[in-house]
Amino acid sequence: MSTLHLLVQPRDGEPFRHEVRGEAAVLGRSSKADVVLADRYLSRQHARLVLREGSWFLEDLGSRNTTFLNDRPLAQPMPVRPGDVIRLAESRIVVTEPGGGAAAPAAGDGLTGSTDERLPESTIFRPASEFLAGPAVPGEGGGLAARMRLINEVHRALAAPITLEALLDLILDRVFVQLQPEEGAVFLRDEKGELKRAALRRARGITGEPLYSRRLAQEVTEKGVAALVTDASADERFAKAESIVFSGVRSLLAAPLLDSEGCLGMIVLSAKSRLHPFQEDDLELLMALASAAAMRLRNIALAEETARRRLLDRELELARDIQMAMLPKAFPHLGGIDVSAALRPARTVGGDLYDVMADGERVWLLVGDVSGKGVGAALFMAVTKTLFRAIAPGSASVAEAVSRMNRELARDNERAMFVTAFAARLDLATGELEYVNAGHNPTYRLEAAGAVAALPGPVDPALGAVEVHEYRSSRLRLAPKDAVLLYTDGVVEARSAGTQAVETPGLAAGRVVPVPSGAAVAVRGAVAEEFHTQRLESYLKDCRDETAERIVQGLLERLDEFVGDAPQYDDVTILALRWLGPS
Amino acid sequence: MEIGEERTAGALVIVPVGRVDSVSSGELERHVVARLDAGERRVVIDMAGVEYISSAGLRVLLVAAKRLKPPAGALVLCGLGPGVRTVLELAGFTSLFAVEPARAQALARVEAQASA
Repeated sequence: MSTLHLLVQPRDGEPFRHEVRGEAAVLGRSSKADVVLADRYLSRQHARLVLREGSWFLEDLGSRNTTFLNDRPLAQPMPVRPGDVIRLAESRIVVTEPGGGAAAPAAGDGLTGSTDERLPESTIFRPASEFLAGPAVPGEGGGLAARMRLINEVHRALAAPITLEALLDLILDRVFVQLQPEEGAVFLRDEKGELKRAALRRARGITGEPLYSRRLAQEVTEKGVAALVTDASADERFAKAESIVFSGVRSLLAAPLLDSEGCLGMIVLSAKSRLHPFQEDDLELLMALASAAAMRLRNIALAEETARRRLLDRELELARDIQMAMLPKAFPHLGGIDVSAALRPARTVGGDLYDVMADGERVWLLVGDVSGKGVGAALFMAVTKTLFRAIAPGSASVAEAVSRMNRELARDNERAMFVTAFAARLDLATGELEYVNAGHNPTYRLEAAGAVAALPGPVDPALGAVEVHEYRSSRLRLAPKDAVLLYTDGVVEARSAGTQAVETPGLAAGRVVPVPSGAAVAVRGAVAEEFHTQRLESYLKDCRDETAERIVQGLLERLDEFVGDAPQYDDVTILALRWLGPS
Repeated sequence: MEIGEERTAGALVIVPVGRVDSVSSGELERHVVARLDAGERRVVIDMAGVEYISSAGLRVLLVAAKRLKPPAGALVLCGLGPGVRTVLELAGFTSLFAVEPARAQALARVEAQASA
């Protein structure tokens, strides 16, 4: 597929077909763009279609209001194929089959209606700006006072705090009193930009499928025009039109919910058996109401978004607190060992864990790291820790305990969550250390004699990944005063300032957005670097005579120094244990 | 990350390019799951263009492997660079995947598995 066929629907112009040949095509408002779209909200060079290894990709060119592919904002170049719908500001481009037959854009908004249905010839469209420019001027003297009163009333009602539901109710209330439609509906754009019916009211006795016309919605919400159908049945062409959507509708009014930022949705009123069809001054009244409502709607949407985010933040904080509370802060006063541990959480909810547990003359150790971030990882971490507590004591070997934990974690694990873990058991009498490495960073042994080395042994799969696996234990005998250091990859993968990964506030918690390294270089003059095992090893060589607590705290300090003011994007867990010798 | 695709007579080749990290792995997962939901049973994931994969990315490969367990399905990975290979080894996952050096071998193996 080297030629790409497009059906271009600019906001401010006539639709046209375009074939993209060659290697690339720039889409934009600029006359220098390869596909020029008349849409004042577009960037001059908004997006680009580019051919890579036989496939067309769409990429955003840093436009002001981004590019959407099938209603998803484009974070990086994505492949396009027939049937895809590209949205740039308020213009649409449908990728079609080579024949030119427009592949139907993906439906799925739950609303019926087709794109090419005809609107009745008697439809009058008027730009909303005409209404918004000045105060509404009702055409007839009769209802003037009543109408002014209505608008005033709505404005006053909207000055007080109001919920979205109450606002929609209020609008429909007033509209039914004043304009007596048979059906009134408010459509709002959801977060994906799709129109959804948010409120519906009908006069008594009205049944059947509520009215929705995609074509009308497009006209009204994308072009920002108000529409008036005066008497559809009187129009010969409309009587013959096949559209089922309009069947029986005599008269219709539609107004966009517009504010300075754009269109939030629309209000549609319709009547089948109206003696007096809607008039232009009805449309003006509806526009006045719609513009008052739109302003308020935007505020409600913003307030709800803020409240939602705050709630989510609180929930995540709570999850974090619960998670941290599961970790032992003080350790059982076990004769013969000196132990200390720290888990420093990244700002988001993550999935690191550690545990230290006495079991008769022995002590169990565990450090783990759940794949991914967020609430899912936190829950998986909690399950892992609980399983460890339940299974480990009394197990014949570390291998047996870990194999059982794995079976439990892998069961019904459709999402394939997994946790890398290093589990060990130290015999306090003999210094024998038995351990299993389940896909985790190797533990270091700090010999009393001074040598520092990673513990040898096989690496088995992280827990939860395969349903049945027999994990393998390794064993070695510590000398008195030997120490071990367990940790997670947050230590060795900590990045220095100039880092390429930053957290972006405002995005869903748990998301880390990479910044192009070029930008990092330009701003900071340094390229990100990882702490790496070399730095860890060289630090540990200085720890020969330190207490476990000093080893842990000292490493945290080293990390802080190294990382500088770069944000921490992964949990950091450190556990140090020194065996003091047979008690 | 970008995701390319190629369909051969016997298999679907999915080609992620760039970094498969905690952000982009979600996109890769949606892509792969959509293809599996649509009935793809013989899949090659060509990792030649992947410069980095995080544990979240590994999870996506595991999801695919679980759903394409032989004999009903087949998944073969190929084109693993040293970075990706190391991450796979560190997680203890090398034994969990069928891995081939390059796409041609991977396709041959997928077809062999399917006809076995």
